[in-house]
Amino acid sequence: MFLALRDLRRGARRFMLLGVVIALVAVLSTVLSGLATGLVTDGISGLRALPFEHLAFQRGADATFSRSTLRPAALEKFEALSGVEATEVGSSFVNAASMDGGPSLDLALFGLSADSFLVERPEARAALADTPGLVLASELRDEGVEVGDRYSLGGSNLVLPVVGFTFAGTYGHAPIAFTSLATWQQIQFGSGADGRYSAIALRGGSNDALDAAASATETDVLTKEAAFGGSPGYTAETTTMSLIRGFLLVISALVIGAFFTVLTVQRTRQIGLLKAMGASNGYVLRDGIGQMAILVSAATLGGVAIGCALVLAVGRTKAPVELNVASVATVALSLIVAGVGGSLVAFRRVTQIEPAIALGVEP
Amino acid sequence: MKADTALAVSGVRVSFPDGRHERVVLDRLDLEIAAGELVVVSGQSGAGKSTLLAVAGLLRRPDSGEVTIAGISARGLSQRQRTALRRDHIAFVYQSANLLPSLTAIEQLELVGHIHRERSTEARRRALALLDEIDMADRADQLPSQLSGGERQRVGIARALMATPSVLIADEPTASLDPARAEVVTNLLAAAATKHAIATLVVAHDTIALDRANRHLILDAGRLREVGS
Repeated sequence: MFLALRDLRRGARRFMLLGVVIALVAVLSTVLSGLATGLVTDGISGLRALPFEHLAFQRGADATFSRSTLRPAALEKFEALSGVEATEVGSSFVNAASMDGGPSLDLALFGLSADSFLVERPEARAALADTPGLVLASELRDEGVEVGDRYSLGGSNLVLPVVGFTFAGTYGHAPIAFTSLATWQQIQFGSGADGRYSAIALRGGSNDALDAAASATETDVLTKEAAFGGSPGYTAETTTMSLIRGFLLVISALVIGAFFTVLTVQRTRQIGLLKAMGASNGYVLRDGIGQMAILVSAATLGGVAIGCALVLAVGRTKAPVELNVASVATVALSLIVAGVGGSLVAFRRVTQIEPAIALGVEP
Repeated sequence: MKADTALAVSGVRVSFPDGRHERVVLDRLDLEIAAGELVVVSGQSGAGKSTLLAVAGLLRRPDSGEVTIAGISARGLSQRQRTALRRDHIAFVYQSANLLPSLTAIEQLELVGHIHRERSTEARRRALALLDEIDMADRADQLPSQLSGGERQRVGIARALMATPSVLIADEPTASLDPARAEVVTNLLAAAATKHAIATLVVAHDTIALDRANRHLILDAGRLREVGS
C-alpha cells in the first residue's frame, strides 16, 4: 500500500467527506447499539440475574408470565426429576401507591418461596420468610423510596412495607419487587389461590428429562434466553434495533461502494499508469481496497469513540442506554467489513482498466 | 533479428472500426531497435504513432504480427505474463510526465521499486542515485505540484530508468517544454540509452531529438520509412 498511504496522508481533504459520513454512521450505530443493549437490560435484567437455566410455562403461554398459570402438581413432576432443582415463580405487573406520600411505583412483582434456590442470600431468605413485605430494586432508592415506606398494591387490599433493597434489576421496563410467594398469590388470587403460580424455574437436569416432564405436565420448557422473549416489547425492540443496524450497515456499504467507484473513475488514468509500470490487477486492488480499509477503520473507530462518549453521557440520565464492549466491537467490525465489502463493487471496474490509457490510446 | 536487438516488431497490423469500414493504422509494420540505440519516429497527427508505442510497449495487442522484447516473444502470452514482461523490461516516458500527484520526486521512483518487490532501502538508494544522475537530488522531497515542467519530465525519465528497462518508450517527452528544457530532457534520454544500453523508441518532432537520434523513422500509411535511406 505504498501509494495508498501517501495518498491518504497528502490528499486528506479528498477523503474527508467519506470519512465524516462513515464516522457519523458509526456514531449512530454505536448509539443504537447502546440503546439496544440498554433496552434489553431494561427489559430482562431482572430475569437474567436470577440463577435458573430453564423456565416452564403453561403450554401456549408464549413465555409470558401473565398468560401462564400452573398448579402444584406440575412442580412435583419437575421436582421428582433427578438432578433438577425446581421452584415456583409468581410474576405480575402491579401499581404500588405510597401510603406515606412517596412516589407511586409500577412494579414487576415476583413472588418467590423463601427456600427457593432463586433466593441465594440469607438476608433475602429472611426478608421473604418474615412478615409480608417488599424487597425492591435498589434503583428505587434513588427515587426517594425508603425502608419502612408502606405501599398499597393495586388490585388488592394489601398494604405492604418496604423491607429492603437488593440488586433486582428490571423486567418489562419496570423495576422488580420481590415478595413471598404466598403474598404474591394473595395479591393475584385473593383467598382462592389454591397454590397457583405463574411458572417453574429450573436448574440442572437433561433436556430429555425436562422435555418428558414438560409433556407430562402440559408445559413449555424454555431456556433462559428464550424466556426473555416473553418480556413485554422485548422481541419488537430487539427486532427493530437489529433492523435499523442492518440498514445502517447496508447504507455504509453502498456509500463506500459508490465513493470507491467514483474514486476509481477519477483515477482511471492513474490506475492505467500503474498497470503500464507493470503493476498487476492484484497490486492495484490491494492498494485501493487497503486504502478504503484504512479510511473506513479510522473513521469507524473515531465514530465509535464519539458514540461511546455520547452513550456514557446519556447513560447518566434515566435513558435506557448501556455500553457493552462486545456489542460495540461487533458494530465496529461489521461497519469495517461492510465498508471493505462495499469497495469490492469497483473490483471489476479496476480490473478492466487498460494500461494503454496511460498513453492516451484507446485500448 | 540481430543478436543485440532489444525490441523487435514484425508484421504488426492494427486496425480500428471506422463506421462501416475499417481503418488500418499499422500495416505489416516492422521495426528493430538494438540495445543502446535511440530511434525517433515522427509522422502526421493520426498516423498511428501512439498506437505503435502502445503495441511496442505491450499496452495493446496487435491484430496480427509479433512483438519481441529482450528476446521474449509476447505472442500468446496471457495478460498476467504480458504485465510481468512489461514490468521487467519496459519503461515509459510520457508527454506530460504523468507523475502521481501524492508522491514526492523520490517516491515516484521508489514506487517502481515497490512494484518490482525491491527492498525499500535498496530502492531508496537507487532512487537517490538516479535523481542525482539527473541533477534532481536536491528536489527529491518535492511534490509534482512544486516542480517545473522540465523538472517533472526529468523525474519521469528517472522513474523510467528505475525499472532498469531493456526498452524505453517515450511519447513526445518534450512537447510541452521550451527549447532549452527540451534539450536537457532529450540529452538525458540519449545519455540514458547509451549509458544503460536501453533500446529507446521516441515519438518526437523537434530537431533536437532528431539530432540525437541514431535513426529517424517516419510513420506513414501504416508503415515506417527511414529518413535518409
